Amino acid sequence: MNLLAALLHTPVPLSAESLRTRVGGYPDAGASFHRAFERDKEDLRSMGIPISVGAVPASDPPLDGYRIDPKEYAGSDPKLDPDELAALHLATTLVRFGDVSGDQALVQVGGVVGDATSTAPVAALPADPNLNPLFDAVRNKASVAFVYNDVQRTIDPYKLAFQGGHWYLTGFDHLRGEQRDFRVDRIAGAVEPGGPATTTRPDGLTGDRAQSWELGDEEPVVATLLVDADQSGWAKHYLGRDAVAKAHDDGSAEFALTVRNREAFRSFVLTFLDHAELLGPPELRAELISWLEELAA
Amino acid sequence: MKRLNASERVARLLAIIPWVASQSGAHLEEIAERFDYPRKHLEADLLEVVGMVGVYPFTPDTQIEVVLDDDRVWIHYADWFARPLRLSSEQAMSLLAAGESVLELSGEESGPLLGGLTKLGAALGIDKGLEIRLGSAPEETLDLLRSAITDNRVMQITYYTYGRDESTTRAIEPARVFADGGEWYVSAHCRQANDERVFRIDRIAEATLLDEHFESRGNGDTASFSARDDDPRIQLALSSDAAWVIHQYPHEGVEETADGGYIVTLAITAVPWLERLLVRLGPAAQIVEAAPGIPVDLVRASASRVLARYQ
Repeated sequence: MNLLAALLHTPVPLSAESLRTRVGGYPDAGASFHRAFERDKEDLRSMGIPISVGAVPASDPPLDGYRIDPKEYAGSDPKLDPDELAALHLATTLVRFGDVSGDQALVQVGGVVGDATSTAPVAALPADPNLNPLFDAVRNKASVAFVYNDVQRTIDPYKLAFQGGHWYLTGFDHLRGEQRDFRVDRIAGAVEPGGPATTTRPDGLTGDRAQSWELGDEEPVVATLLVDADQSGWAKHYLGRDAVAKAHDDGSAEFALTVRNREAFRSFVLTFLDHAELLGPPELRAELISWLEELAA
Repeated sequence: MKRLNASERVARLLAIIPWVASQSGAHLEEIAERFDYPRKHLEADLLEVVGMVGVYPFTPDTQIEVVLDDDRVWIHYADWFARPLRLSSEQAMSLLAAGESVLELSGEESGPLLGGLTKLGAALGIDKGLEIRLGSAPEETLDLLRSAITDNRVMQITYYTYGRDESTTRAIEPARVFADGGEWYVSAHCRQANDERVFRIDRIAEATLLDEHFESRGNGDTASFSARDDDPRIQLALSSDAAWVIHQYPHEGVEETADGGYIVTLAITAVPWLERLLVRLGPAAQIVEAAPGIPVDLVRASASRVLARYQ
């Protein structure tokens, strides 16, 4: 904590050597000091403390110096009331996010208020390393770059949404020149932060995200899927009643679905095995038949 | 209260210092409770850790002063820690995501949770940039299940088992409702199987609350999927396109191959489940090794059956 105090206290970057003499408690200069110093620095960074590196003033040759900007260290205080803190405490007990400690986050915004010990969690949201840079970009209205479907893209992120067990990013895709949805766990490699976003989020950007077969770059076609009575209840719930094109007397139903990703759609149709039939368009039906013929051969 | 490791304790203390400094004589009990800090270490950590913090040249005015009197504590000269450490992106997301989830579930349009989230969103500079939908389950079924759990009432359900591709009617004693991977589940004691079972709520076709009450059996802390030792195992070679299988389903080991594909071992609780998976994957999956319980001809037979609908 003394190192932290020294880094926050100094208006200019301090070299490792001057920190050693100012902080105290460190071994004498040498390899063991450097190990101890690096470890402490890493510990502070892993707590989310922003240590910046800059040249030590008037050093020649320039020496690396360290400091923490007090403005970057502290966040802005949300000034939460006790009942608001208690409501958030209950919420973090009910819904967990990766292995993040909800309690530590709460103490940083005012405290762990109220008793939630008798509450069993109802849901766990998966964390993904790419969520952090995407969240920061949404927050700072900055662009990001990443590879998706084998194509390098620049995106202005508008919104992160969790739905159907997956995280989705909605944003403006500069490559396609329009707004698109991306599944975060299908982003290849790391998200790279970019410059300021050049488009702004449209108003009223809410609503259900796209199904897997709508996430694609193919020419859209409307497919008709007949689902048997024993599965049609679930299908109506899953696809939404608006997707029902025709309800038959025997309980089966036809669904009209817009397809932009044929592979994903074929995969969805096959989850019904022989309880559903792809009625059209002929082209998609033919593709499905030849897929099955190959497997049946 | 969980045990805190050394850096977690420092992180807590960094939040405690500004709060105590802003109060005039905070009670130790209250600090321990509000910051979920082990009470038995609190006094010592305040005096021996926080009280030793200072900057060069460590004169009294460049050191934090901690005054303890009975069960109250004062902190002075802690200007470096006048404000709590800002939330990391992950922490910010965890609070917002949990809050948004619960807000969606409760359907509340006012109240402390919405108030807290609005303030938090403003402080973090994020406005409607995070949306959480835990998945939808038919509201009527969910309501019935919740009242069955509260009142310990037995329920009769008609359930479609996706893995076995069949519907059955059974009596269950519901224990807990939870969401996982975008779906809602209920863990329950199934009277037909005389064992704990997990049911996906959207696959419950009919549900009726019976008059009979049951004895509670604990919190129903069953995972949504668990393999048994005697379930047959299968080893699949997946191409790199089929990597989603590894992320989506629980597996018992995975190896990466030289060509970017994977060799994965799965426990098969029901053969139709595997059938579906293989028919969907097609050439992207090849069986490397299968336990005797798994028909060799599975994919071909299944594809032919589906194909029959198209002829």
